Amino acid sequence: MKILVLGGSGYIGSRLCAALAASGWATPVSASPRRVTPGIEHRRADTRKLESLTQALHGIDAVVNCVAGDAASIAQGAHVLAEAAVDAECPRIVHLSSMSVYGAQEGQLPEQTALDPTLGWYARAKCEAERHMASFAHAGGTVVTLRPGCVWGPGSHLWVGRIGRWLRAGRLGDLGPAGDGWSNLVHVDDICSAVIAALRVPVSTGQLRTYNLAAPDSPRWNEYFVDLALAIGAVPVRRISPLQLKIDGWMLGPMLKVAQSALSRAGRLGHAVPDPLSPGLVHLWDRHLHMDSRLAERELEIKWTAYGTALRQSALWYLQSDGMPGTHRGTAVPVPPS
Amino acid sequence: MIASADTVETGACLWADVCIVGGGAAGIALALSLSGQGLKIVLLESGLAGEHAPTQALYAGEVADERLHSPPDKYRTRRMGGSTAIWGGRCVPFDPIDFEARSHVPFSGWPISYGDLVPFYPEANALSEAGRFSYDADEALGPAAAPLFRRFESTTVRTNSLERFSCPTDFGKRYEKRLRLAPDIKVLLGANCTAIRLEPGGRAVDELEVTTLSGHCFKVAPRAAVLAAGGLETARLLLASDDVAHAGVGNEHDAVGRYYMCHIAGNVGTLTVRGTPDDVRHGYELTPEGVYCRRRISIAPDQQRRHGLANTVARLHFPRITDPRHRNGVLSGLFLVRRLISYEYGKRLNDGTATSAGLYARHLLNVMTDPVDTTAFLAHWVTRRTLAQRKYPSVILRNRTNRFSLEMHAEQRPDPDSRVTLSERCDALGMPQVRVDWRYGRDDIESVDRTLQLIAQEFESTGAGTLEYDRGKLEEDLMRFGAYGGHHIGTARMGTDVRTSVVNADCQVHSVRNLFVAGSAVFPTSGQANPTLTLIALSLRLGKHLSRRLAPKPRVHTDLVAA
Repeated sequence: MKILVLGGSGYIGSRLCAALAASGWATPVSASPRRVTPGIEHRRADTRKLESLTQALHGIDAVVNCVAGDAASIAQGAHVLAEAAVDAECPRIVHLSSMSVYGAQEGQLPEQTALDPTLGWYARAKCEAERHMASFAHAGGTVVTLRPGCVWGPGSHLWVGRIGRWLRAGRLGDLGPAGDGWSNLVHVDDICSAVIAALRVPVSTGQLRTYNLAAPDSPRWNEYFVDLALAIGAVPVRRISPLQLKIDGWMLGPMLKVAQSALSRAGRLGHAVPDPLSPGLVHLWDRHLHMDSRLAERELEIKWTAYGTALRQSALWYLQSDGMPGTHRGTAVPVPPS
Repeated sequence: MIASADTVETGACLWADVCIVGGGAAGIALALSLSGQGLKIVLLESGLAGEHAPTQALYAGEVADERLHSPPDKYRTRRMGGSTAIWGGRCVPFDPIDFEARSHVPFSGWPISYGDLVPFYPEANALSEAGRFSYDADEALGPAAAPLFRRFESTTVRTNSLERFSCPTDFGKRYEKRLRLAPDIKVLLGANCTAIRLEPGGRAVDELEVTTLSGHCFKVAPRAAVLAAGGLETARLLLASDDVAHAGVGNEHDAVGRYYMCHIAGNVGTLTVRGTPDDVRHGYELTPEGVYCRRRISIAPDQQRRHGLANTVARLHFPRITDPRHRNGVLSGLFLVRRLISYEYGKRLNDGTATSAGLYARHLLNVMTDPVDTTAFLAHWVTRRTLAQRKYPSVILRNRTNRFSLEMHAEQRPDPDSRVTLSERCDALGMPQVRVDWRYGRDDIESVDRTLQLIAQEFESTGAGTLEYDRGKLEEDLMRFGAYGGHHIGTARMGTDVRTSVVNADCQVHSVRNLFVAGSAVFPTSGQANPTLTLIALSLRLGKHLSRRLAPKPRVHTDLVAA
């Protein structure tokens, strides 16, 4: 069984390829515009071009869509994928969506919750991508859509690396009510297990199944920030005022973003600029959205990585990884057992 | 959801699995802990989201002796969040010895042990935003942290226990969103519970009567009712509900309102520590989680038993503020602006010292001759307290002389004659007001005296310093401001003997199978600790008990989890 992993060089995609290769029942084929993972078959594919993608899908039994990037890569990419899969007669797509499709809604949200694309370009693109997946199912394919929360674990620059740097810099800490939202963290290994299960779960032709993926023991953001800070030695943890958070997100954030892009484009030290905070993130930490992942637990039989284990692995990775901008090695204090 | 009680129609009867009376630290902790169990929870809060003078006036009442106890509408705020809107944030757990029956403390002994409460303390700490449940300095601060006194080692007098400080967290504001979003919690603001209506046999609560200041009246019929209205108000409500149980609900043995305790507190003596100021850590430390904490002086449990002492702590403190002889610009500055400070925090600046132009002049002179310290203090106060989210807990002066007074905070022995009763006067809703007759005993003062003697002996024998205090003035020093404000303990105490207690180990009123009490009213003894952390832990324990007892099977409903 050959599985094409779109975005196979990304954080999730590269780990998924390794997990598929190790699983023994499938052969992963990584599709990405760049970088080849040693030992994994690679096909160069432009996911926004029908011809290129149809060609890459040749002889493939199922495809996993882990494409990240800008709005066009996500939305238009999904559109092209749906068409290419029909053309190449690839019967099954496992599509990685996001909790962003729930928008600003709060509370305990199951998969049937109506989508809300109003929360910026990313949510819009992800909602549109899901619509294209539905069209593929309508056209006779089978689709399993996975909606992960915040994917973390060792190697996660988004939810471990930059969070650790913000904690070290005193820009993040205990946010009080502004950090009372649920983190919906989910370990990258659990995402890989879910994808493999989604490739194998019986789904009849023309059907679309959707699963939320967030570890049930994932804490509220404040708890995560304090735990990570203690684990990487970013202490004493600061209590961040709403005003500081606003200034950082709304005023400093855009300036840093511009500086980062400009320097990167100029081929200079873009990574030397401190990570920008965005208003979207500030809102995320305050959002009491609790993804209900019990369906995935039942039907995909996921065994979640315990929060304490994920935290230890992530902190260790943070402390060991070199070359992360703005960091220095610190002394870890023991993390309480999970 | 959170709604105004005026949105409920007059005459309506709301159904609930659990009805909680009071939206303070106990009520909010309990409601949140019950959420997600498939239960319908109604929380009645008399107050609104903020201050409201006519609501606050419902707390008015009488005190037998104004020198001994503050008026009942002080140190309490009748609003969402309750008195956490004004608390100082000190978090300290009770000690294992507090739960024991001690022969030298009459009526002591809890029907539960420290071990029964320990599982709930970490969550109580988290809700209070006081960091980890770790109250040993070595454990919380690491072995590298400097000790309280560098040259003092004693197995009798301990200096390693900590007090931690909440932000201080206003529970009403901090948990507003959780309560608002929880699909199984309905918070009604402006909802005054004016009576507990028992079924004719008196063995169960039938309904709770609710009245708003605008005249709406309705009822709540709960499977279980929980009074979480504070130590004074809980007794008031039990006593005033006398239609079926004529002596008041749960008061068959005249125990409701009795054994009323606060803490014995005051600044005493002079401790002179040998060595340099660097040898003493008298101020706050930051734990790794960023929480302010501070070491205290206490007596080891075996020595408490041996010497027959009530549990007591002492903190290093500055000299009496009103006396300008301290020649400290900061303290004199505080004295000069004391009228701008709220009653609760300004009380110790108004100790009855006769004011005169001369006194003011001497304090002013202190400020003028100590400009550096005064300015540095002001800058520190503005940045670390006024503007900070996590507030620096109190005034700490620079130690120059290694001389301190001791700020005592002592357990008070339970006394059935120290009590809360109903007054002849009624409030705007027709409820009888409370009358507080707080009393202390000679034993309480003597216990502090012997505690101080032990501390003095240990300092003397180790050569670490000297403690001098005037034994003849001790009672005056401890009673200068009367009972320690805001700690209302014991009026519906927990116990196994129905003659001397009101609730059982599950906080259930002995004689009423579906009526419970959350809060410091149930503490059988007052311990050395401020009550908030422990009353939250007890509320969480009650939450677990109620979920087990009431939750439907299967216990977790998929769509009812607090977000």
